[in-house]
Amino acid sequence: MNRFSRRDFLMTSAGAALATRLIDPARADVEAPKRGGTLIATWGGLEPQSLFVPAGGGSSPYFTSTKVHERLLRFTVDLKFEPVLALEIKPAADFRSYTIKLRDGVTWHDGKPFTADDVVFNVMEYWKPISAGVSLDALESAEATDPLTVVLKFKAPVPEFFLKSVLAGKSGLIIPKHIYAGSNIITNPINNTPVGTGPFKVKEWVRGSHVEYLRNDKYWNPSLPYLDRLVIRWWRDPASRSAAFEAGQLDIGTFNPIPIPDIDRLAKGGKIIAETKGYSNSAWVATIEFNQRREIFNKREVRQALMQAIDRQFIADTIFFGRAQPSVGAIHSSNSIFFTKDVQDYPFDSKKAAKLLDAAGYPVKGGSRFKLNLVSAGWFEENEKIGQYIKQAFEDIDITVDLVVPDRATSLKRIYTDYDYDVAISNNSGSVELIPSTTEFYTTDGIVKGAAFRNATGYSNPKLDEVVARMAVETDERKRIALAGDFDRLASSEAPLLPLVDLEPVTIARSDVRNHSTTADFMGESWAELWLDR
Amino acid sequence: MRRIVLRRLAQIIPLVFAVIVLNFVLIHLAPGSLFDVMTSEQQITDPSMLDQLRHTYGVDQPTWVQLVKYIWSVMRLDLGFSYRQNAPVLDVIMDQLPATLILMLSATAIALLVGVTAGVLASIRVNSIWDNLISLGAVFFFAAPSFWLGIMMTVLFAVKLGWFPVGGMRTIGTDNGAFADALDVMHHLVLPATALGLFYAATYARVMRASMLEVLRLDFVRTARAKGLSSTRVTLAHVMRNALFPVITLLGLQLGTILGGSVVIEAVFSWPGIGSLLFDSIMSRNFPMVLGVLVLGSLLVAVANAAVDLLYLRLDPRIRPR
Repeated sequence: MNRFSRRDFLMTSAGAALATRLIDPARADVEAPKRGGTLIATWGGLEPQSLFVPAGGGSSPYFTSTKVHERLLRFTVDLKFEPVLALEIKPAADFRSYTIKLRDGVTWHDGKPFTADDVVFNVMEYWKPISAGVSLDALESAEATDPLTVVLKFKAPVPEFFLKSVLAGKSGLIIPKHIYAGSNIITNPINNTPVGTGPFKVKEWVRGSHVEYLRNDKYWNPSLPYLDRLVIRWWRDPASRSAAFEAGQLDIGTFNPIPIPDIDRLAKGGKIIAETKGYSNSAWVATIEFNQRREIFNKREVRQALMQAIDRQFIADTIFFGRAQPSVGAIHSSNSIFFTKDVQDYPFDSKKAAKLLDAAGYPVKGGSRFKLNLVSAGWFEENEKIGQYIKQAFEDIDITVDLVVPDRATSLKRIYTDYDYDVAISNNSGSVELIPSTTEFYTTDGIVKGAAFRNATGYSNPKLDEVVARMAVETDERKRIALAGDFDRLASSEAPLLPLVDLEPVTIARSDVRNHSTTADFMGESWAELWLDR
Repeated sequence: MRRIVLRRLAQIIPLVFAVIVLNFVLIHLAPGSLFDVMTSEQQITDPSMLDQLRHTYGVDQPTWVQLVKYIWSVMRLDLGFSYRQNAPVLDVIMDQLPATLILMLSATAIALLVGVTAGVLASIRVNSIWDNLISLGAVFFFAAPSFWLGIMMTVLFAVKLGWFPVGGMRTIGTDNGAFADALDVMHHLVLPATALGLFYAATYARVMRASMLEVLRLDFVRTARAKGLSSTRVTLAHVMRNALFPVITLLGLQLGTILGGSVVIEAVFSWPGIGSLLFDSIMSRNFPMVLGVLVLGSLLVAVANAAVDLLYLRLDPRIRPR
């Protein structure tokens, strides 16, 4: 994986060149960016509970906080790391320590200087215990060797791509030590008016309506941000968001802001565009999960048979109107680094599925092979439709299905706390780096009662655990990719849980909004480089 | 009269107490909890941290202890702290309550104005084309779901004609003084208040028409006409005043449902009221916030109903205590 070598990273760290770097040729506008203007944005979900939720809190606070809080690095849309607050991140020869050189001249919104002490505080007091979880298990210490240098030490070798992914990911936001030190980070009232180093400062949050940000005139890159003002508004109803786009009252919306059938209609006139780039580091799938605590699903042949009874192309075409594609293995197809097609496939064939069930010892008796409870998590409307389809697909091979679609709180409890299901339809979003966001659905250490979006099936396979453990310390990137292939092949053939379809989230934007969707997680980007061609 | 006012106000206390206990029990009986939702959103798996959060949120105590503590804090006018919003419950509600009150009052005003006028018109032109058109309109607006009506009005008046904004309560980022700001809010209010108010207008129109027709047949109306009063004066000063009683009764009863209806309308028009807050809080089992909204909501409805009762006493001397 030469393209992610240290040399490449350093080559891309050309500091202020970030300001005018145009990453995606599709939007690599030849005109010079224009300064000024107000961008009205939204997303396909609800208002955040707090503008910044230190431990995560879902997509909504992530969207609002990332305009204020920055990271050391970011991931471009073509999966290269770019510097933000770090100028250089250099591993030692044994990959047990990393030296981070920080950007000089960065200040917090309140005027205090950003220093290595802030990074040390974040690493030890915020990331390791709160936001990064198991990702930083191997971290032993963080030390500021001078005001702009931090050294991280680990108890085991840490792959460079893995560490940079953590630093560029959701858990790597940097908060000010002088505000948070000595307080409870999770409940600090400042989380409702966050202070960061980012290109925008919070002006006002009108609960139930919008949050307004103003340009940070003292941003470390003096040519950014291009916008004077950014407003994030919330509409609960997707049809109302569609109307707002049509009436010219919304400029951009991320993560499926409007009903899928409206996308083509709005994009037809050319004034509004639909963009699918910008989601590869937050790649969503709809999954089917077989509860291993039920005797029937201990048999791999049963799981494989059920996978063959599902027409995933039908789900992609009919339920998602083509805005999804059948998953190939456990790794999202947009992951151009680790994705492989060399995994066990499950082509739709209900007759073969029935024969496999006969062979597995589950013939039809009294009109049914067996009965199962299907829980379809009700947080996405599409999950209910998937559940209805799967009920019919399983009934076609003489399985009796009781389908329930509980609301969010009940779904979380039934699937991830009580394990009260036989088969579940759920979702997850994985980053490009597979550990832990993808692997924890399959590994034994991913089984944590009450922890959502992990291994709820109870599947445990020492062989698979071993492959993931080797990936966690393998510093040769080619060997890591090979291990990821081994992991995917095992996960796909064992099928305790598999993605049904890879979702293709869409950003809707007016055509005069420029330079968007240029990073691998556009929704969580600072939006400093967006500009309006007006 | 004073005794009646005090008695009506005293009745509010057991009502609020019942609202707290009933909703507290219902929320705790529902599967899932705020703790489940928040720890899953925050991906917290460390057992010691989970214990610490259970203690912080107070969910490590028996349910009855939580209930007693909550009642005690409400008695001290403290609605608690919402860990989900990371803010005191009362602060969050007071941020959003004014928007809901503006919407509710405007919708009620539209409902009364349109409904009473339509009812009176229909009754004085009974079986005419006007009567038929008003009856047809009343059936239509009574049957049309308010969210559908809201979306249709948005498409026509905001998207196609561009007369009104699609949503929100005010134009963001403008500061043109108090008067201009008030006009701006009114401009934003037209569609949501109309969408919410028309359902109730339909009800009032039907009730008012029936009530007017009943009163028109009474002896005192005939007497008033025999005395030579003009038709307008008879209708407005004698018939309408007496026909209003059922509408006023209905108004008091429907204040709670108008609050419920605002949940839907606020969602369609992105109106920053407590309707959306209540819905989100129920979905996330955020019981301090749900209880806070319901306690304040029930207080509002109870006080408004008491006011309606007093208005009733004022309008009808026959039911005043002797």
